[in-house]
Amino acid sequence: MALKYRLALFALAIVFSSLAFAADKEHGTVIAEVPLHVLPDPGSQKLATVTRGRDIFVLDHTMVDNKPWAHLLAVVDVDVERETSRSISGWVPAKVVVTTSTPNGDQVIYGEAVDSENQATIRFGRKHAADDARRLYYRLYEYFPNSPLAGESLWRAADILWHLEKADVGRRPSSHEMDPNMREGMNEETLKLVIKKFPRTKWSDMASFDLIDNKLCGSWKDETKCPEKESDLYEKYAREHPESPKAAEALFNAASREGALVEMFRINNERDKSEKARKKGIELAQEIVTKFPDGDWKPRAMDLMYALQQGIPTYTPEAPSRPSK
Amino acid sequence: MVKHWKKLSLALLLVLSIASSSAADKQRATLIREEYLYSSAGANSQKLSQVNRGTALTVLETSTADGQPWMKVSMAADQAEVSKEVTGWLPGKLIVNASTPNGDMIVFGQAVDSEHQAEERSGRKGAAEDALRLYSRVAELFPQSEVAAEAMWRAADIRWQLAKASSSGTQPVEKYLQEVIDKYPQSKPADLAAFDLLEGKMCPEWRGLPDCPEKESVLYEQYAREHPQSPKAAEALFDAAWRQATLADIYRLGEDRDKSEAARKKAIALTQQIQNQYSQSDWKPRALSLAYKLQQKIVLYGPAED
Repeated sequence: MALKYRLALFALAIVFSSLAFAADKEHGTVIAEVPLHVLPDPGSQKLATVTRGRDIFVLDHTMVDNKPWAHLLAVVDVDVERETSRSISGWVPAKVVVTTSTPNGDQVIYGEAVDSENQATIRFGRKHAADDARRLYYRLYEYFPNSPLAGESLWRAADILWHLEKADVGRRPSSHEMDPNMREGMNEETLKLVIKKFPRTKWSDMASFDLIDNKLCGSWKDETKCPEKESDLYEKYAREHPESPKAAEALFNAASREGALVEMFRINNERDKSEKARKKGIELAQEIVTKFPDGDWKPRAMDLMYALQQGIPTYTPEAPSRPSK
Repeated sequence: MVKHWKKLSLALLLVLSIASSSAADKQRATLIREEYLYSSAGANSQKLSQVNRGTALTVLETSTADGQPWMKVSMAADQAEVSKEVTGWLPGKLIVNASTPNGDMIVFGQAVDSEHQAEERSGRKGAAEDALRLYSRVAELFPQSEVAAEAMWRAADIRWQLAKASSSGTQPVEKYLQEVIDKYPQSKPADLAAFDLLEGKMCPEWRGLPDCPEKESVLYEQYAREHPQSPKAAEALFDAAWRQATLADIYRLGEDRDKSEAARKKAIALTQQIQNQYSQSDWKPRALSLAYKLQQKIVLYGPAED
């Protein structure tokens, strides 16, 4: 009895592990927008459209007229604008399907994601290309977690989502609230996932930099507390992430906020504080010049340093030209 | 004796001409912040007009007012009409000339800042034109600077991009890119300028015919061959490969199977070249993705087979 029980358990374990293995092998996405058909026949009824980067699960394969078809369970858009979707099954030409078993599948998906990201940045690019890119990058991370591209992919997916949400948040009246807690921030979940899954990497450094956005004031209203706090946030970032590609930018953002404080304190007749901010701004700018001699941050820092030394105002009260990140 | 005097006078002439050209260099300057032109030295005098960042100035006179340095300058009255000049006074601290310590970096930094403003949604109006003028001034005022070539290229590129967006077309501004190539041959800025110039040779429309992508593919491949160190070399090869890929579809639709297959093979070979030569950039996975589509015969141009 015990032996039979053990054998049954063993058989069950084999079945489960092979099922899990099959499932692993058959998850994937599509690299081109494609109609989902009722049957493996281009003339059959179209059920929906599967967009790039959508999560798919391959149920079956077949050949029709010497052409491979894949039977999928796919997530499809119900309303693209409202971002609603549902899962349905149907057939697509197998050539657009990339799964975990596709040779170089990670690079194929990544290449299509870069292509979509590029489309999103050009004037007459494909509609919803940024969403395509975001989904494709995420699929790569999800289904090829051991790929050398996984960290960068997850970061890019998170960054695109962050910027799409940032644009949405920026259009709301609450975006001008001084206190960042008074407005709805961007969702931090995916950026925090980058930091958790790929700690102490370039990608986690970049994710940490994006997260600062949620702590910035919507407007300064000529009050010193915002640039003071923001200067501290950026300087702290630069100290904690000295190898980050964003370290120079963070120091510059801190220095430019000190530059704004010079003018704010001067207007408030607080000369000592104004002078202290001026010295701090110059110190930070000098640090950029010394530590980051290559690239555009050095001349930008030198320009700022010159303005601070010459007493050229770098902030206009109640003007839209406040230093931006 | 006569010979000796002749030599001496020649040397004197040379010294004088160097001194005068150096003085002229010092008189040429630019403005690094927007400011009003005043009728006399001092912020309380009459405001004449607004002067933009990067405006080319000639300093005529210096003075002090309210404990601050002021400079009398002349400048073109209008960008389009440089023969007419206006004169007035500007605060000296906003003026950078060839003798300003780190002047090249200060003007370049302000140009980068303006370019950044131009890219932002709520950036300063006219910021792209500010950047263009400031970069131009770096190259003019500081020809020996380490950033002179880069500045000249960036000015030409902004001019090119602005012309592309306008209805006037790019042809009138090609000379600025050509100047970069002539002045800094075999440099990165020259490579980038040559890539921009390729755009001027592209067809506005293909109309589903093979002639244009054929020609364009040749141009891009030639560019990659002639500028192997260019930051745009991988992109040029990708552009060539992508055109060959579309040719495969154009010939397929025209039922010319041999040419379609030849174009497909050529495109795959180009994508392979990108993967081998540029393995550390985004162009490698983009090439790999394109190669995959070509191998799977996914339609890239025209109506899908499905």
